[in-house]
Parts: sequence; structure tokens; C-alpha cells
Amino acid sequence: MDPRRPAADSAADRWAPVVVGRPVAEFAPAPPGPWLHHTDVLGGYRPDTVCDGWSTGALTVRLASVRGYSHRYERTPRQDDAVVVAHPPTGAVAFAVADGVSGAAQSHLGATLACQLAVAGVLDALDDGRPIDWPTLFAGTGHQLVAYAQDLLGLSAPEPAQAIALLATALVAGVVHPPGQLGDGATAALARIGDSGGWLLGAGTFHDAFGADGDAAAAEPVRTSAVLALPSAAADVAPAVRDFPVPPDAVLLVGTDGFGVPLGKGSGLVGHLFAGTLARRPTALELAHTLDFSRETFDDDRTLLAIWPDPEPR
Amino acid sequence: MSQDIEGNLWPFYVVADESGSMYAYMDELNEGLGSLRRALLAQPLTAAKIRFTLIGFSDDAIVRSHLVDMREAAELTPLESRIGTCYQAAFNLLRELIPADVETLKARRYAVYRPTVFFLSDGEPNDALDWPNTHRQLVDRTVHRAAPNIIACGIGDVRADVIRQVATQPQYAFVTVPGVDIGQAITEFCTALTKSVVASVQTFGTGADSLIVEPPAGFRVTLDEV
Repeated sequence: MDPRRPAADSAADRWAPVVVGRPVAEFAPAPPGPWLHHTDVLGGYRPDTVCDGWSTGALTVRLASVRGYSHRYERTPRQDDAVVVAHPPTGAVAFAVADGVSGAAQSHLGATLACQLAVAGVLDALDDGRPIDWPTLFAGTGHQLVAYAQDLLGLSAPEPAQAIALLATALVAGVVHPPGQLGDGATAALARIGDSGGWLLGAGTFHDAFGADGDAAAAEPVRTSAVLALPSAAADVAPAVRDFPVPPDAVLLVGTDGFGVPLGKGSGLVGHLFAGTLARRPTALELAHTLDFSRETFDDDRTLLAIWPDPEPR
Repeated sequence: MSQDIEGNLWPFYVVADESGSMYAYMDELNEGLGSLRRALLAQPLTAAKIRFTLIGFSDDAIVRSHLVDMREAAELTPLESRIGTCYQAAFNLLRELIPADVETLKARRYAVYRPTVFFLSDGEPNDALDWPNTHRQLVDRTVHRAAPNIIACGIGDVRADVIRQVATQPQYAFVTVPGVDIGQAITEFCTALTKSVVASVQTFGTGADSLIVEPPAGFRVTLDEV
């Protein structure tokens, strides 16, 4: 601590946004707008930031989801959401991360619902001891989003187009099995529709779990913001699925594009920031604070889930 | 995985007719562009993602302001009325400038969204036979992959079919309704320009179709005959 500065300032500095390069303009975050009048199971309250952290004894979990600076400025709710739960009978960790499409009127609800439905589907498969059928799980999630929209809008029949306009969301879901369950080491399965992503971080290097998809997007001459989402207008949209081991010295990361886009290949300033932070298994609060970094023009919602195999399982 | 980038940018170009017939309305146009700048100053997160270029054309085309960060610009260089209405000059300049600008920004490690051009003219081009071919090359994404979207607005005596030909989508072509005050129409053009830029940039990277075009009041969409 700089002894010339008063103690009160040091506390403020400690929780000031982590600046990466040129910061976002400073402003006081505005509350989400008055359109959040829902009294159903999803509730109407949408906190700016959520974070979570725990260990099963074999897998350590940290999660943070923060409202983007642009949404804080524009009185818009956080449209990202995530669910991560332990499945004690198998020792597995099931999760989902979703990024509501801003063009959809209530995409924050779509994100929340998609996460809950996807994780419920993963837990059902784990309970039954059967492999996860990701295309069926994602299709079912899409159908239930359409049914939810039908109920919310008071429609007499399912209307996929209206459900898309109301609830569209990108979704990545998955499961991590601890060492000893499906092999010697931890294993992960990820499935996604849309531009949320997954990475393995080991020895300071980020490896894109959906590498081929991401490279295709990077080859675009100009950037496009069009994303696939659930529910989908096309019946044959299947999720991209990846199965891979999680080495004992690595951490599995799952996040929305609010994290993935500034991360890039992970060799820049944002990559260095997270490689350093994640190397020390931060607390949930530290992860949330870091994830809320300030970098000009990167102002989307950000969600990041990190899962480490524990070196000495309890 | 995508490259490590410094930021996300959207280049906007306003291409305005500086022919003699615009003389009486230059103050409205320059004032309207000034209001765009002031509106963006009040939206710093949006302004950070924009690089703004202003081009005036008559017999030739002149870059008045180039890839300006509106948060840092003192004032935009004003447009000035001159002689002639040469669309070819405007499209030629854009055809050279836009690919070079995109490459410049990408070399600075920015992710660049497809450039958008707002085109404003009040009269018939005096090079009616020459400009369509240059325009086709400008907007052909097989010729250069960062070919722009063009929103075209015609005021006064301009022919609707010409404006429709300039716009890259039928819904991007607007002409003033008969009898409208031209000065007011220019002010409305600038208001719509501001709203379109702000609304579009606020959808940046959100999965929505990002280019939002706000129809200017006092204009109508030109409709094709079939």
C-alpha cells in the first residue's frame, strides 16, 4: 500500500474496476428498466452480479456473471445467466451458461430458463446412468422455451417465431466427471448452440474447446454479430459437442462471448489477466471482480465458470 | 478462437451532396452533423465504437473528416457547396477509401463491423451513365469483402429510382414526400442518422441484426414497381 494515501482510498482502490488498456467511460450504473414485472417462478429481480464457489472434494468450482457496462448504462438487465450444481451420486458437476440475445424482448428470462432446463436434463441423465444425448437435450430445451413463451404470452398454440422474438438465447451446457469415474483423470463434455465458448487453461495457455468453429468465425473479413440461438427456427440445428480430458494441472473454463471476445486467443492483456488470476484459484468474489474488468468497447455481459480437478481429492 | 483484439469498431460514412443547389441548406446540414457529434458525446460507450468519416461531393469528392473518434474531435470540418453532382466521384472515393480504412483499423487490431454509408443528395447526377458501374463494384462483396451497406436519402428533385439504385436494400432508400420543406428534411435526415447510428451501435455484438435504420420524418421509402 502506498503510505502517502489515506486508508479509505486504499479500500476504494482495491474494489475499483480492473483496467485493461483504455477503460470504459466512468458512470454510475443505472438500474434495469421498469419492464421487469414478472411474478412467475423466474422472479422479477435481476441482480447486477452473481457469483458462486465451492468444492465437491474432487472438483473446485468458481462462477461469476456480471452485467455489461453497456447494459448498466442503458438500464438493461444482465442477459447472461448460469447454473452450476453438484451431482453427489456420481461426483460430477453439471452446468450451463447462457447469453440472451439482445434482440429478444425478454432474453434474460430465456437465458435463465435455458440454463435451468439444460442442467435438469444433465442431472436426469446422470441419475439414470445413461449417456447424455445432447441433440435431444437441446431440442427439448428449445421446445420448453417455446412452451414457456406460449404461456407467458397467453397464446392458444406454440408459436416458435414469437418464442424466438421473446426468449432467444445462446447456450453452452456440460458436465465434468471427477478423476476415477470415467477414467484416471477428470473428463468434460460440452455442447453449445451459439457463440458462448469453452476453454482449457493450462500452463498459461488457453485452448479453445470449440476451436474449429471459432477459427471459422475469425476468418470473416468483417465481424458479424449474428449468432445461432435457442429456440431455433430451423428444426435441424444441432449443438456442437466436445468430449475431452481435463488434465490435473488445467482448469476448464466456460463463458459467454462477453468474456470470449476480449480474451481472443488468450495471448493478449485479457488472457494474461485471467491466466494470472485463475492460477491462484480465486475466491468467487475475486473472480467476479476480475471478470468486471474495464476495457473500452468491450461492454457486453460477461459470465465465466471455472472448474478445477482437485490435486488431492478428499 | 478469434484474434486478440484491441476493441470493436464500426465505421460510418456520411456522403453528402455539395452541389450548388444545396447552398441554401448547408447551414442546416452542418448543424445537423454537429448535433450528431453532440449526441454521441452524451453516449460515450456508443461513441467509443464508432469511427466517423464525412465526405462532400460535387464534381469531385473531398474527405472532410476521416475516421474521427467523436469523443476527441473538436468539430467536424464543415461541408461547403460547390458546382456539380458527380455520383461517380463519390463512389470512386468510397471504393478506394473503405477497404483501406478497414485494413488500417484491422492492422491496429480492431475487430471491424461492416461499414455503413449514409448518402444524401438533392438532385440528378450529371454523370448518369458512369456511376452505376462504379457503384456496383463498391457494394459487391465478391470484389471487396468489406463492401458497405448504403442508406440513401433523396431530397427535393431527386428521382426515386436513382436513390433506390444507390441504396443496397430497398428498405434503405428514402425520398422526401412532395412539398416538404427541404431545410426541415435535412434536419430530419440528420436526426434519423443520429438515431440510426446510436441504435445500431447499441446492438453491437448482441446477436441481433445490428444495422438499424430509422426512417427520417418527411421521407418515404421508395417502392419498386413490379
